[in-house]
Amino acid sequence: MSTTEHAPPIVLEYHPGLPLSRGKTIMWLFLSTEIMFFAALIGVYIVIRFGAFTWPKPHDVHLSEPIGAFNTFVLICSSVTIVLAFEMAKANQSALAKIWLGLTLLLGGVFLGVKGYEYQAKFAHGIYPSASPRSQLYERADLKYAAAVRMRLTDIRADLEKLPERTEEQEKRLTTCNVLLNQFVRPLEKKAVMADTAAERQAALDSLAYGVFHTEPHHGGDEPSVEKTKLAAEEDRLKALIVSSSAEREAIGKQLATTEDAEAKGKLQAEYDTLGRAVDSEIPKMIELLPQLKNGLMSDDNENAHWLKLPLMIPSGNMWASTYFLLTGFHAIHVIVGLIAFALMLPMTFTAKNAGILENIGLYWHFVDLVWIFLFPLLYLF
Amino acid sequence: MTDQHSTAHGNTAHADHEHHGGLGLYIYVFFALCVLTGASFFTYSAAWPFKGENQQWVGWTFMMAVSCTKAMLVIMFFMHVKYEKSWKYVLTVPTAMMAVFLVLMLIPDVGMRTEHYDEVRKRNAAIDPHADRDDADHDHAGERPGH
Repeated sequence: MSTTEHAPPIVLEYHPGLPLSRGKTIMWLFLSTEIMFFAALIGVYIVIRFGAFTWPKPHDVHLSEPIGAFNTFVLICSSVTIVLAFEMAKANQSALAKIWLGLTLLLGGVFLGVKGYEYQAKFAHGIYPSASPRSQLYERADLKYAAAVRMRLTDIRADLEKLPERTEEQEKRLTTCNVLLNQFVRPLEKKAVMADTAAERQAALDSLAYGVFHTEPHHGGDEPSVEKTKLAAEEDRLKALIVSSSAEREAIGKQLATTEDAEAKGKLQAEYDTLGRAVDSEIPKMIELLPQLKNGLMSDDNENAHWLKLPLMIPSGNMWASTYFLLTGFHAIHVIVGLIAFALMLPMTFTAKNAGILENIGLYWHFVDLVWIFLFPLLYLF
Repeated sequence: MTDQHSTAHGNTAHADHEHHGGLGLYIYVFFALCVLTGASFFTYSAAWPFKGENQQWVGWTFMMAVSCTKAMLVIMFFMHVKYEKSWKYVLTVPTAMMAVFLVLMLIPDVGMRTEHYDEVRKRNAAIDPHADRDDADHDHAGERPGH
């Protein structure tokens, strides 16, 4: 009894349920939903990708590994700077905390800038998730693909022909369109349609697709390509054609000089002119284009042919574009949200008392970095 | 309100932090992350030895192991999870399990979708243009209308 009399009055003390602040609790709850969100996205990508018959190599879709590695490095640096900002705030060094926070903002900006540049490279090649009836990417070299290439060329030609006057460049482009149509696309399309066997048809369509754009062999090595041999043979054929056509034209010229009949003369003149056009412009121009066809007209090596914007044959390219833009797009949205938060926090004065806010945004930012740690190898190196 | 009790509690947390955080550790972790990024980038370089047709999985396994190591470094040290109390398991273990289950549940319908493709669908599916076409040509010869 006496002990209770002398006992001090009970002092109620508040003990939080968890050994962490409310802000941090909420952030961790949010992050656990985020883990499931990105696990779903990445998991779906993995399952779709490894279930597909084939998947584009990074170079086929203009992904650059060094650029991806650079962006990984940038995000790692930003993870360090945000954690240092937190440490500085804990040490009551507001000015230093702000510098590290500002640096994090800057690094996040660099990451987004590089990402934007990469997206631009995809868009420039017609690689994007498309809402139109058909995207610019075709799964295989079939007659539909050949028709799409032909129609793209005739569309460009029609647009150029409509112009009241053409600049020198436009005139050149018109010639290129005509040469590609008459010497490359139509002959191969015709060959495919008239083919007796499926193998012959496929060979013609493969040649067409190869000349426009070709993906890399999947297992490296410089196996002598059938298409390169075919293109070399085509060069020989065209050169021989110039010789034979020139001879024919000469013969017609001689005939023209001796013919008296006006009607016959008109016919011969027309024939003489057609052969002249072929020998003087179309065939030499086609020979000029052959090295570009060897690389693929739309390949990175042929910057000067990119205005053609021809449809590309990239097997699984559409699915690749959908998953790539979904994954990196959601990641980029998270980066943007983080940058907005950094920008809003920059005017604050940081002390040990409010360092928690830097810790929480830091947790979020590290998670964004974490997602990229998995996206980089999955998208750029697999 | 929140701030008051968080700082009251935070002070003890700070005492904890003093001996485990620190610039030195962050630099070590940063260095390790850079080396590991270089390691996964190595699979892209010419010096990577496993470039054969059936050896891709070596690179894939290697890269995933590297990524998991990097992820663990970030989680443990930058996110301070190493020093958190056991509540961390309540949040991370179930979500991690859900993440794995989700992928496993997708495998039969999505991952193995091509095994249920009928002939028409297979014929129109994307195929590797570098793959040996002999089989495909044999299968499809004479199947298309007009030939």
